[in-house]
Amino acid sequence: MVDRIRWRAGAGTALTAVLSMAALTACGSGDSGDDGTLTMVVWGGDVDKQTYQERVDLLEAENPDIKIDLQLIPSDQYEQKVQTMIAGGDGPDIMQVAENVNSYSSKNQLVPLDEYVESSGLDLEQRFGPVGDLYSYEDQTYAIPDRSGAMIVYYNKDLFDAAGVEYPTAEWTQEDAQAAMERLTIPGEQWGYGGAGWWAQWWSFAYQNGGQIVDDSGRPTVNSPEVVEALQWANDLTHVHHVVPTAAEYADMGPDMGGDPAFAAGKVAMNTTGFWAIGGLIESDVNWGIAPMWGGEQQAVSAFGSGLAVTRDAENPEQAFEAIDFLTDAPAQEIIIDNAQDVPANLEVQQSDAFLQPEWAPEGLNMGAFGESSEFIFRAPFIPEWNEMQATFDDNLGEFWNEGGDAQAELDEIQTQLESIIQ
Amino acid sequence: MSNVVDEAPGAAREPRRAGRRRTRLSRRGRKEAFYFWLFISPWLIGFVGFLLGPMVASVYISLTEWDSFTPPQWVGLDNYTRALTEDPVFWKSLWNTFYYALISVPLGLIVGVWLANLLNKRVRGRKLFRTLIYLPTLVPLVATAMVFKMVLAPSGPLNDLLGLFGLDGPEWLLSATWIKPALIVLSVWGAGAATVLLLSAMNGIPRELYEAAEIDGAGAWRQFWSVTFPQITPIIFFNLIMGLIGAFQIFSQVYILAPNNNVGGPDNASQMMVTLLFQEAFSFYHFGYASAIAWLLFIVILVFTVIAFRTARKWVFYETEVR
Repeated sequence: MVDRIRWRAGAGTALTAVLSMAALTACGSGDSGDDGTLTMVVWGGDVDKQTYQERVDLLEAENPDIKIDLQLIPSDQYEQKVQTMIAGGDGPDIMQVAENVNSYSSKNQLVPLDEYVESSGLDLEQRFGPVGDLYSYEDQTYAIPDRSGAMIVYYNKDLFDAAGVEYPTAEWTQEDAQAAMERLTIPGEQWGYGGAGWWAQWWSFAYQNGGQIVDDSGRPTVNSPEVVEALQWANDLTHVHHVVPTAAEYADMGPDMGGDPAFAAGKVAMNTTGFWAIGGLIESDVNWGIAPMWGGEQQAVSAFGSGLAVTRDAENPEQAFEAIDFLTDAPAQEIIIDNAQDVPANLEVQQSDAFLQPEWAPEGLNMGAFGESSEFIFRAPFIPEWNEMQATFDDNLGEFWNEGGDAQAELDEIQTQLESIIQ
Repeated sequence: MSNVVDEAPGAAREPRRAGRRRTRLSRRGRKEAFYFWLFISPWLIGFVGFLLGPMVASVYISLTEWDSFTPPQWVGLDNYTRALTEDPVFWKSLWNTFYYALISVPLGLIVGVWLANLLNKRVRGRKLFRTLIYLPTLVPLVATAMVFKMVLAPSGPLNDLLGLFGLDGPEWLLSATWIKPALIVLSVWGAGAATVLLLSAMNGIPRELYEAAEIDGAGAWRQFWSVTFPQITPIIFFNLIMGLIGAFQIFSQVYILAPNNNVGGPDNASQMMVTLLFQEAFSFYHFGYASAIAWLLFIVILVFTVIAFRTARKWVFYETEVR
């Protein structure tokens, strides 16, 4: 019995080891790419699966020499799965990347694409605009933008009409936004805004104030007055002005409640989030509209997106790039909007009627909000230590978001920690 | 450890032989040996390939800095010294894990014994109660955790209940102080698994012992302490060891319950050893450091298991053992 218990204890603690062993055994197995099929991994749910598959089908139909095996991995397991695949020497040929892209590129796991871009004659600037070089690291391009949309303001028209408040516009300042939130709040029942506790939200305010999270030379600057002011404002909206539900109030509404579901339930009048909220709202009873983000000292808003990259394990990187080139070209990108999945990164599609007046959109939905926002998207610092940076914010700001507090003190502490994390 | 094995209570002792002697196997013996290896081999292969191999590999990895992509860099004991001397989150998660294990395990046992004792009474609907108490164990953990998110909401049912007694319930999962007690509440909810084992042990106690005790004038309380309790100590001991090992490895509950998918919970208040290990390995790409944490956790569990076995002699009663 003793022995069994000892080994049981060992079994659990060797968790990491088991996975690495699985990786080692995978080394021995032959590569699946023998028949020239490209493996492509993406994350997401049902809509994503359908959309990617339709795009891949189109690609295969138009390019008979390319075969793609599409693998969809649930979002919360994506990084671990891909990491295990790559560590085992059996990485995918094409992978979807986002904010965390440089954990891979800094470790030489992605193929620099510049020479392929050049020889194919693809003009990134022309096809994608300012986001064309979003996924570059140390002057080399590691991924081609695929989906890219700014964060936008969703507003509940009925609640705005009832309170007699004008609908939001890009011309609003932070003060205008707060004034509107205050008029839209009915204590304990309805709130003006869904909150800004997520990096994409409060960082937007920081960049609106002229601050930066990481400066141009790569040093963290999170305790600058501009950033402190932004974080304090974002927090005060909840704990001082009471125009945003507190964490406790959200928890009382149901499990995993936050701005997105609360907006769809008509509990908050405004919410700032990405394109994905549209899918749920089409089916909800809420009478909603969208507008570009308000501004501060200057206009700034974060964007969400993802790109497609070729990994080191790709046997035929040239063909993999060819596939990516096709997938990010107009015909394949149109499927993204037809399925209401996301904002296609391709500018030509973003400006087309397919995007501006999609079939599924309610009457008069201002899809131009995305195009308008793209002019003032700020460049978030996609550092290789992205995950650690986010964890540092989450760990330190947990109590701050839940109970309120002093942004300066929190950010001073975070600054110190980030200085040791960011090399 | 060998002396512990020898002195494991209840273990039948073989007479010690002076020196080892090779005995020639008979034909039947060889055949038996062949079948022994044949039938044990699936386990053995699995053990060597999936357990021993990875364990040895993880010792090596723990002495390197490895991001899982590029070749590992040998750093000696740096990972261990960093965990023990520099990383405040490591110590915090160690403390959190102790806090959780040392409260949830005894509490779970007390509740388990109490429930088993109640269910052992001859009351109407006893079978129904037994089923109901075991039921929580059968609900998948994810479903349980989702329900607990609602139950533990600041104005949720639990706080409503506390309100009836004039208590102002805390914000449980949102508060750095209360998230660990919340996890303990969740673990105690699953005490039914221990209850079933304890109940079967109680059923096995001979009636004569109670009759004799009654004749000697022992009341219910005295009967419990002098008859029931000593008889079920082996099962309590089993649950204690399993509970300790399980509690030190707590992972899924934290992963699901921590608000906003932040594994550490508010200000790392619910960061446990295994969640920290997972975060370091799969989110931060520090496989070497994560492996070092795994081995430190192994040592912690080993120490507690040894302590439990050492003290077991004093309170675990085996009928077959002559004292």
